[in-house]
Amino acid sequence: MKKRSTLVLLTAAFLLTAFVIAGSGRSIDNEVPAPPAIGATIEDFTLPDVDGTARTLASLEGKNGTVLLFIAVQCPVSNAYNERMEKLAQDYKAKGINVIGINSNVSEDAAAVKSHAAEHKLSFVILKDPGNKIADRLGAMNTPEAYFLDANNKLLYHGRIDNSRNPEGVTTSDLREAMDLTLSGKPVEKTTAKAFGCTIKRA
Amino acid sequence: MRLPRALPVTSIGLSILLLSFAAPAQKRRPAKARPAVRPPVVSEINTEALIALLKRESDKPLLVNFWATWCDPCREEFPDLVKIDAEYRRQGLDFVTVSLDDPPDIKTRVPKFLQQMKATMPAYLLVASDPEPAITAVDPKWQGDLPATILYTSKGEIAYKHFGRLNPGELRQAIDKLISK
Repeated sequence: MKKRSTLVLLTAAFLLTAFVIAGSGRSIDNEVPAPPAIGATIEDFTLPDVDGTARTLASLEGKNGTVLLFIAVQCPVSNAYNERMEKLAQDYKAKGINVIGINSNVSEDAAAVKSHAAEHKLSFVILKDPGNKIADRLGAMNTPEAYFLDANNKLLYHGRIDNSRNPEGVTTSDLREAMDLTLSGKPVEKTTAKAFGCTIKRA
Repeated sequence: MRLPRALPVTSIGLSILLLSFAAPAQKRRPAKARPAVRPPVVSEINTEALIALLKRESDKPLLVNFWATWCDPCREEFPDLVKIDAEYRRQGLDFVTVSLDDPPDIKTRVPKFLQQMKATMPAYLLVASDPEPAITAVDPKWQGDLPATILYTSKGEIAYKHFGRLNPGELRQAIDKLISK
């Protein structure tokens, strides 16, 4: 009897897990809110960093703008961009634009995010987004996905970092172009751009 | 179960006899397990050809799965897609897969994975220096997150779409609705 009830319990647990896994993703358009329109102001938010310390957007933003980068630990596309993301953060820090990483994947905890950042020498602040609250607010779908905000947190660009996962195939650096135009006081020409990436694993 | 119990009491002669029976059986096994399909041919598809494929005129609904070998949930859901292809193709469903792997993978890891999966649906690999026009053509609301599975009616309208790991039951329901029409 005992064996049988254990078997029943195990089967139920397996089925439940399979159901949860199979059900992840989205089929309905409005399941994840649409991203804010270009020009919309991104409200301040608070998220824990990888050490659990609460950080606000207001405390991390740059004087000339901020890049919010949705990134992942296990996504090969996000990982293909590790060096490019770090270089981006370094290049623009001196120009007054701060890069903030956000990990919204339910499957990757703060400890994993911290060790991944150390391993890949990512020096910019990375926030953990429990319950994908901020990913939902910004309509973020994949990794890597960038949001460039001006000094007043107005959304100027949303989308890919560049056109190619493979660094050798890069022909348009859309995010950098948006940042450079803004720094030179010009309007951003291409305000959105898409690329293939990994689905954010939502809770 | 009988064999291990019997072995300790068998003579060397009997062992040889058993082995002589076992040998042809071993020979037969690989012949049975040999895959019936050759390594699938993966064809390059550019953005224009992809758009033409999605907008094709046909009397059959079309299911398209966008995937990549580097995408874990894509690989995990693939056995379900192969089952769905086997179930619905003879009922009148067209099903193609579009890989977003790098072009050199067209002759290596992509067909290798498809062969492992015993996938026989037509397989493409998107070749586009800028992926955006293809993503937007598939669905303007799609951000490019993989996997993505889209079901088109015979008139080329989206009947069902799912971004992220597939829910096979939900997809079957959507196909049933189109097939039974």
